[in-house]
Amino acid sequence: MDGQPGVLQELQNRFGEDIALQQPTRDQVPTLWVDWQRVHDVLGYLKNEADRSYRMLYDLSAIDERARTNRPGQPESDFTVVYRLISFKRNEDVCIKVALQGDYPTLRSVTDIWPAANWYEREAWDMFGLTFEGHPHLTRILMPPTWEGHPLRKEHPARATEMGPFQLPLEKQIREEEALRFEPEAWGLQRHSEDVDFLFLNLGPQHAGTHGLLRLVLQLDGEKIVDVVPDIGYHHRGAEKMAERQTWHTYIPYTDRVDYLGGVMNNLAYVLAVEKLAGIEVPDRVKVIRVMLAELFRIASHLVWYGTFAQDVGMMSPVFLTFSDRERVFDIVEAICGARMHPSWFRIGGVAQDLPKGWDRIISEFVAKLPRRLDEYDRVIMRNPIFKARTKGIGAYTTEEAIEWGVTGPGLRATGLEWDFRKKRPYSGYDQFDFEIPTGRHGDCYDRAVVRVEEIRQSLHIIQQCVDHMPDGPYKARHPLTTPPLKEHTIHDIETLIAHFLGVSWGPVIPAGEAFVGIEATKGNNGYYLISDEDIHAYRARIRTPSFAHIQMVPLISRGLMVPDLIAILGSVDFVLSDVDR
Amino acid sequence: MSREPDETFTNPAWAETFPPGFTEETLDQAIGRLVVLTRLDDLLAWGRKNSLWPFGFGLSCCFVEMATALTSRYDIARFGSEVIRGSPREADMIIIGGTVFIKMAPIIQRLYEQMMEPRWVISMGSCANSGGMYDIYSVVQGVDKFLPVDVYVPGCPPSPMALMEGINLLQDAVGQESRPLSWVVGPQEVKRPPLPSMRDLKRAERIKAVTLRPPDEV
Repeated sequence: MDGQPGVLQELQNRFGEDIALQQPTRDQVPTLWVDWQRVHDVLGYLKNEADRSYRMLYDLSAIDERARTNRPGQPESDFTVVYRLISFKRNEDVCIKVALQGDYPTLRSVTDIWPAANWYEREAWDMFGLTFEGHPHLTRILMPPTWEGHPLRKEHPARATEMGPFQLPLEKQIREEEALRFEPEAWGLQRHSEDVDFLFLNLGPQHAGTHGLLRLVLQLDGEKIVDVVPDIGYHHRGAEKMAERQTWHTYIPYTDRVDYLGGVMNNLAYVLAVEKLAGIEVPDRVKVIRVMLAELFRIASHLVWYGTFAQDVGMMSPVFLTFSDRERVFDIVEAICGARMHPSWFRIGGVAQDLPKGWDRIISEFVAKLPRRLDEYDRVIMRNPIFKARTKGIGAYTTEEAIEWGVTGPGLRATGLEWDFRKKRPYSGYDQFDFEIPTGRHGDCYDRAVVRVEEIRQSLHIIQQCVDHMPDGPYKARHPLTTPPLKEHTIHDIETLIAHFLGVSWGPVIPAGEAFVGIEATKGNNGYYLISDEDIHAYRARIRTPSFAHIQMVPLISRGLMVPDLIAILGSVDFVLSDVDR
Repeated sequence: MSREPDETFTNPAWAETFPPGFTEETLDQAIGRLVVLTRLDDLLAWGRKNSLWPFGFGLSCCFVEMATALTSRYDIARFGSEVIRGSPREADMIIIGGTVFIKMAPIIQRLYEQMMEPRWVISMGSCANSGGMYDIYSVVQGVDKFLPVDVYVPGCPPSPMALMEGINLLQDAVGQESRPLSWVVGPQEVKRPPLPSMRDLKRAERIKAVTLRPPDEV
């Protein structure tokens, strides 16, 4: 920030000149290497003592550096732990990296600084075999408890077909089921209090109220929830490992399926990060087309949430109403992209093709019709007294708690903090659009609903602006790394033809470097942290998804409530299991 | 309202009961209208065919399209399959909608075992069919590695209409199945009709298409 010393300067003033080594990255985020013995103090300082401190642990992940060749100016490291923090007061990020030596290194846990680090450290243990000293319960989180090896290590096989055929004989089934048995003591839970025996209720992974493969173990005193232990990983599709073998281009379809209600919204975060690495500046038309489709998918996702949330609290008909509107969105998406849920339509440096003739007519019709339907839903759902009784005052948290636990998106705005990446850190030309950021006040289930409903209206407003002011121009950037390049150039000059051929057959080679891009996705902040080792695929792709953080927070807001309240909370949080487990 | 006795009635009193224009049907016609002659096992197969109740089960993206098939535009109720059951014991079929994860496989197996015979399995989407695009350490390469599958629905995800076609195909197969009426009556084996690949059956029709809708028009 202007007139402010950089975060490196602050750390040097506090800890001495040699505290950190700054690494240049493509994304311009201050990236500092800190010695493993001092990182705990540095993180504690950044969170608690620094001026306008970095309150949110946005992401914590690791990199297996043992096979990487392009690491100019970076300290020797076998495994690197990456902490990404956000200061809302500064509107700045900082990325802290720690170099660790050895095959199975150990680092001090930061769960005492951020309770939200709990799951992230478990994930790093599960995926890389890193041990965090002082972690309350360092067990596997994504893989089955019986799994051998740590999948994101470079020596772990990626393909299922490299690991022998899958078989499920009876004894294996029994063993696997037994391994999933819940042991309250392991989680520090009591089986009895002074005068009651607690009931442990297993909710999921197959349950209508969990919206997918999520397992929650409830510790119940009668009907009252004493504690909740979420068990995730039933939906782990290895999206991060997949990026290490698919080319930069052929990975795009996998991003669609991370938040599978978000469609091209996922493509956007990914291609923006790749474009940052490649140094591609896309034409204005591309930006506006991308914004328009991303907002259409925000509406589609919110409509699914609207109907299913109403159903979770007992209303039968809204799901039929909102799903028919979602079909209208999909009519448009299908007309433009050719597919419904997973169009994979964005490309590195552009979009797959230009908008079809008549696109503006179908979108304008939709934008004109939906507000009346939304008014109807306001009457049927939002003003329904039973709906209000089920959601008001339930599952509330404050802005401080939200930041502490890494909550972003509508869940954060419902607490009253007006924080939206589209406004605060405009990407893809969002600064050119006129729209409001709806906020709530109480941070409860009802306010989260209010925020999302209003977001649908704001998205419609953005889409109308796209229709009215769609710029002319090419739908792909003129850049050698645009994949595939514009067809008319390929048939005129040999260079583009060769680039086209290599880009499609082999894959584009993205220059070495690191970049992180976070966007305001449907559920919250979705970010791609990509590392290129100057190859046709990512060396490491870290997907920071909002739902992971949101599900980790569910126990905090469910204690002391009843089981049906938990279902309302899960509905209002609006998560997608593939967004949790990736 | 009174009227003249109609000659078409054998019993003049009937003219009071039946509306004008009604003509008395012959016994054969009446039987043809009111009575269905069938074999008991055909009747049961017909009943099974038209009330395939699915288990409320889903794995990933495909589950959303499966849920969409229940809603107004597609309305799976037209085929008697809207009665989503919360318990596997009450369900006739399980739609494996989505990716079959290794961590989830024992649970899917358990749920399938909890279903009562007769039971059918639809594998919905590329992941459940073969692993699809997820040849990755955490994914079983097709649910048929541990469950018997009756119908495979291709797509990623299949559209609700594709799922409904799959259900129709399963209905046809179920209608032709022959099952023992009880454990003491008739032959005890289950005879299933052959389930040919739709790709082969539809190829001749599909190959006739010469003009395709251009992608640059809505």
